[in-house]
Amino acid sequence: MNADAPAISRQPKTPIWLANLVDKYTWLVVILVALFVLTFAYGMITAPNFLTWFNFKTIIRDAALVGIMAIGLTFVTLSGNFFLLSMKETAALAIVAFATAMSAGYGFELSFLFTMGVAVVAGALQGILIGLGGNPIVVTLGAAGLFFGIASWWSDNLVISFRRPHGAEWLGSGSFMGLPNITVAFILIAIVAELVLRYSTFGRQVYLIGSNRAAGKATGHENFSMAIKTCIIASACSAFVAIAFSAQVSSAHVNYFSSSFGSSGDMTILVIATVMVAGNSIMGGFGSSLRSSLGAVFISTVDNMMVLHGFNSGPRVLAVGLMIVFSIIVFALVRRGSRVQE
Amino acid sequence: MQPLLKLSSIKRSFGAIHALKGVDFEILPGEVMGLVGENGAGKSTLVKIISGFDNGFTGEYQVNGEDVRFPHPGRAEQAGIAIAQQELSLIHTMSVAENVFLAGHNVPTFANKRTLVKMARPFLNEVGLDSIDPAIGVDRLSVGEQHLVEVARLIAHDPKVLILDEPTAALGESDSIRILDMVKRLSKRGKSIIYVSHRMDEIFKITDRITVLRDGESQEARAASTLDVNSLVELMLGRELDNMFPARALPEAGKAVANPVIQVINLWPDGLLEPVNFDIRPGEILGLAGQLGSGSGEILAAIAGARKTRAGTLDFGDESFLPANPKQAIAKGIAYCSEDRKLDGLFLGRPIKENLSSPSLGSVSKLGWMSRSAENTLAYDIAEKFTVDTSRMNDQAGVLSGGNQQKVALGKWLSIGPKVILVNEPTRGVDVGARAEIYQKLRDLAAEGTAIVVASTDIQEISNLPDRVITFYRGMQIGEIGLKDMTAAAILKQITDPFNETNL
Repeated sequence: MNADAPAISRQPKTPIWLANLVDKYTWLVVILVALFVLTFAYGMITAPNFLTWFNFKTIIRDAALVGIMAIGLTFVTLSGNFFLLSMKETAALAIVAFATAMSAGYGFELSFLFTMGVAVVAGALQGILIGLGGNPIVVTLGAAGLFFGIASWWSDNLVISFRRPHGAEWLGSGSFMGLPNITVAFILIAIVAELVLRYSTFGRQVYLIGSNRAAGKATGHENFSMAIKTCIIASACSAFVAIAFSAQVSSAHVNYFSSSFGSSGDMTILVIATVMVAGNSIMGGFGSSLRSSLGAVFISTVDNMMVLHGFNSGPRVLAVGLMIVFSIIVFALVRRGSRVQE
Repeated sequence: MQPLLKLSSIKRSFGAIHALKGVDFEILPGEVMGLVGENGAGKSTLVKIISGFDNGFTGEYQVNGEDVRFPHPGRAEQAGIAIAQQELSLIHTMSVAENVFLAGHNVPTFANKRTLVKMARPFLNEVGLDSIDPAIGVDRLSVGEQHLVEVARLIAHDPKVLILDEPTAALGESDSIRILDMVKRLSKRGKSIIYVSHRMDEIFKITDRITVLRDGESQEARAASTLDVNSLVELMLGRELDNMFPARALPEAGKAVANPVIQVINLWPDGLLEPVNFDIRPGEILGLAGQLGSGSGEILAAIAGARKTRAGTLDFGDESFLPANPKQAIAKGIAYCSEDRKLDGLFLGRPIKENLSSPSLGSVSKLGWMSRSAENTLAYDIAEKFTVDTSRMNDQAGVLSGGNQQKVALGKWLSIGPKVILVNEPTRGVDVGARAEIYQKLRDLAAEGTAIVVASTDIQEISNLPDRVITFYRGMQIGEIGLKDMTAAAILKQITDPFNETNL
């Protein structure tokens, strides 16, 4: 109560975050940002072929897979339900489901619907448990094991391939106005997700419940249905990425999204990193899917630059880790200033 | 006899708020001093100054005749002043003995559990926990016993003055008695005790003298034997009631009572001893009076579907049911503000506008998409009605002052066009200006035909705002007081001592 008194008169002309940036944390934030910008600029200029249209398309294409999953996960995070640690395993389950259906000759449309159905069930299952009050970490860790186990068993841990030509080629290797279709899908999903979060009642509920779950319940917005919906969205995004990836390589294996397969690290970690690097509040209620989309492009840019400089996977994974730490520090400091009292 | 503690002309301001405007207080060795006053009278500020949590005061503070000003609570503890606060500071995963020696006073560097148990025994005996095994976990004790453990921990430092800040506020009857017994025993052994309480019966049972705080000023300490409940209440409420409260009109004689919006039938929320029955009528402010632990707040939560209930129904005239969650209650036009707006009344990190429209997203959207103009209109309307600055609609609710936050927490319910508004502690943590505005607003809403139910532990509020008051005492419904007989004394009697346990 008493602490309120000075806050009443506090109405800075400059944006609060800027005022605080200059106010309290000048030295730390400025040094960090400057260091980062310098390194980035240096790498950009010295990297061969970095500033080319072709490389730009490469960056966006690389960002697409992680980005779509990150957009899905952003809904979960914004609604205050933390993270799903099962993103990668959901994708593994989905890719096996898709490839199995494709190789059995069901065609793209049916296989797509079947895979999405599997993803919705997987998401709903986790959402129900989280909505009932289960700890998201524990629930999704358990779900991760469950999904991965089912996927491995189902596929006998073998590569499932389906022969070209097949109905999914347009998604895997087609392009639209010079952009790969997966990139187009990423951009479309990013736009739709942002519109939904910003302007739909569902999006508003995501923010409200994420901001204060108890107040959300008191005003008639239950987290139970919210957890289910957001988990289904995240799961469906995972499955979409799995389908797109499978369409590209015309095959599937449960390990396609593990660190042992890709060189940029574990998919779940990358997706979570993307959401965090973008400065979305881990506790929910603050952030946007646009941030996550840009975060994906950002990580992909850094990764691309390092590839061009000839770094192998160790330093690149390290770089992702550093970026997370960096963004946590900057965003935490900035936000501590902007939230006057809580 | 020289007083152990002596404070004279203590003043303390927080910005424009003068919490203490000149308080004299003293306590003699071995004395039990009662400290009473309304909410906001300055009790907790005074207690904080005495125990070293607050040193920004002006005035003299003497311990044993020497001037002191404690820079932090640790110093006060060294000077022999210990405080047991309302919130317990025990560590629930540890044993009783470990909790007693939490601060590590006089404990050998290496002590095993058996040593601690042995060392804890005398202190536990002193507070009346003879039958408790010090080796068991503290979470296996009742709340009252935990309070006693807390005191045992303080006694382990051998304090001269012990401050108990509403120790029985959250306790049931039997636990309360143990606390009172302990106070008597400790005072017999020469400890001075400052006993802060709202409960009249306790104050008269155990204190030697009583200091009354009123509006930041102290009244001369009087011997408990020279006072009775009525004279003490008069001392507490002595100020003239200004026109903070809107006028009330006695119901016209012979005029039929309006049909109730909701009849509460045998509602039995968790935390109450027995079911309650009453009517909620349109156009009326109904007050639920009771102290902390009386259950009045729980009843509101139960009606709003925010609390578990064992049994009961709400009769809406044409149908009867009991909401299982707030969503169902909102659908019936029941709005509810809990006593803790930061916990579940506000989205502090979201804009004020979003807070105001949060209960009725459906009315400001079409086919699942928000209508910006509809939302703005709604939010501005409410903000204007509740005198919230409309130029700040896009600011986070968290930057508002307590009073304005409460206006937003309350005002958001206008968006659902409520039939019934339930408010628990409508003005907790709200400055005087905003208080008057909130009272006026509630009165206006009632005049428009809304049924308002207010639960409050603030005796001034509960005796001056409602048209009708129902009283509660320790989980029981006691009685109903109409406007004609509504006095602070009458209400206080029913909520502190309905069964004449004071023996005066």
